[in-house]
Amino acid sequence: MRSMLSKLISRSAKENSNLYVLSGDHGYELFDEMRKATPDQFINAGVSEQAMIGYASGMSKVGLRPLIYGLASFIPVRVMEQIKLDLCLSKRPAIILGDGAGVVYTTLGSSHQCAEDIACLRPLPNLSVYSPCDRFELEVCFEEAMKADHPVYIRIGKSDRPEVHSVKLNHSGIHAIHESSKSVALVATGAMSSIAQEIGKKLGVSVYSISRIKPFPELELLKKHAHLMVLEEHSKYGGLFSSLAEKISEDVHCNTKLTSFSLEDHFAHQCGSYQYALSEHQMSDADLHRRVQARILELGNALKF
Amino acid sequence: MAYNGQSVHVACAFSMVEILSSLYGKVLNFNSKNPNDPNRDYLVLSKGHGVMAQYACFHELGWISDGAVEKYFSDGSALHGLSESHIPGCEVTSGSLGHGLPIGVGIAKGLQLQNKSDQKVYTIVGDGELNEGSIWEALLFAAHHKLSNFYVIVDANEFQAMGLTSQVLNMEPFVDKFKAFGFETLECDGHDLQKVTDALLSFKENRPRALIARTVKGKGVSFMERNNIWHYTRLDPTTKALALQELESGGIKS
Repeated sequence: MRSMLSKLISRSAKENSNLYVLSGDHGYELFDEMRKATPDQFINAGVSEQAMIGYASGMSKVGLRPLIYGLASFIPVRVMEQIKLDLCLSKRPAIILGDGAGVVYTTLGSSHQCAEDIACLRPLPNLSVYSPCDRFELEVCFEEAMKADHPVYIRIGKSDRPEVHSVKLNHSGIHAIHESSKSVALVATGAMSSIAQEIGKKLGVSVYSISRIKPFPELELLKKHAHLMVLEEHSKYGGLFSSLAEKISEDVHCNTKLTSFSLEDHFAHQCGSYQYALSEHQMSDADLHRRVQARILELGNALKF
Repeated sequence: MAYNGQSVHVACAFSMVEILSSLYGKVLNFNSKNPNDPNRDYLVLSKGHGVMAQYACFHELGWISDGAVEKYFSDGSALHGLSESHIPGCEVTSGSLGHGLPIGVGIAKGLQLQNKSDQKVYTIVGDGELNEGSIWEALLFAAHHKLSNFYVIVDANEFQAMGLTSQVLNMEPFVDKFKAFGFETLECDGHDLQKVTDALLSFKENRPRALIARTVKGKGVSFMERNNIWHYTRLDPTTKALALQELESGGIKS
């Protein structure tokens, strides 16, 4: 997914001389290709994320197309008010890329981990929120973001998980990534889509990947299921689980129930690998295999399927 | 207007009247028929609390109607108590401090990138607003990128919401600080129209420019001058009449 991101940025910069990348001194090799081809379109604004959102707003005001890059802990979480006032209120067409969302930066600790970005941004008017899981979802999300006339946030989580899709997509939203007739299904976003697909194939249940959180896609594909288990590398509060629960609870024709497999309400306890960091939230691959299976058994007794 | 809307922040507006007068009257290149003319100079009010003074300019220019002044703050009216960017002439949404100046720097950088540096960006900040860290981040950026089309005017009225700036969080010496941050820096009496204009037109170096305008909060109404309750006090019929009397005797229209 990272090489696709690098390619998309590089390609967009070549095709659109008004596109400028603003980075708060982050990115390293991600921008190598772009900086080689269009060096003048890359601005390292220094370690000053707050003001950088202002620069993006001002540059957009005079017709340029800013793409703002940072680690999700800083862009968008640290600068939420700048995003609200400088970009959303004036509806500036800027792309905000928050990299390393979730617990990706395990060894760097809680300062660099980010379980709250989607929850922070969802209430902001005029802003769309994307959460792609692989290069195919990233490509379609990025293309939609480039066409948008308003600010867009693209959440980039753990990017070296196995790919979920195999063909180019023509829209963001909800995609079935494994299909079964069972009434229980898995719904996942970002880095969790791949493990959800693996578990769904093993247990023979449908799996859906959600690449756009706001505006939340229509529920049609999901309504036929009696129970959905939500997997996300984000806090239970305000992320995919919340979005889905809000949408379903307002739909009088939908009686679907939900189970949440989300990051728990605590910071990192100890240092360790990515799988270790997830395990502190009962969310490692092994944890999820075990928990999903146990929950299906439990529900099977209740739902009699 | 302040009376009609029962607005606070009256004194914040009075300290920058001559600064705005100089800009609209002598300095800014703008199209009086079209506030959004793409070839204009940009006037960014970062200290959004003074927006009533800018509304007064818009009224003079015919950009807002008598009705907007009379019905200030009434239900369904357009103008808020702080600058909002959807109002023609207001380039940014400010009021949350430390936002306007970085946006102004972004406008200046965007113009520079498009070889339009002859279009200038004038940003008015308060001395209290200089408490905000994002201001200093953006000043560094403006100097690093040699944004000679970027001007900061500090409305140095010595006060912020809760008291004297020197007592709340001392930001002096302004001139030394702006020079150290790479700005060509001048200082003048911010209520002397000619001196403000001369200063703004005299910058010449290839780097961003700062004018420290020494002003009096509440200028023009003796009982408001340097009396910080007028940051947050509303006019009543008596104070309104007294204020108008003083302003009119000073040759200023209501």
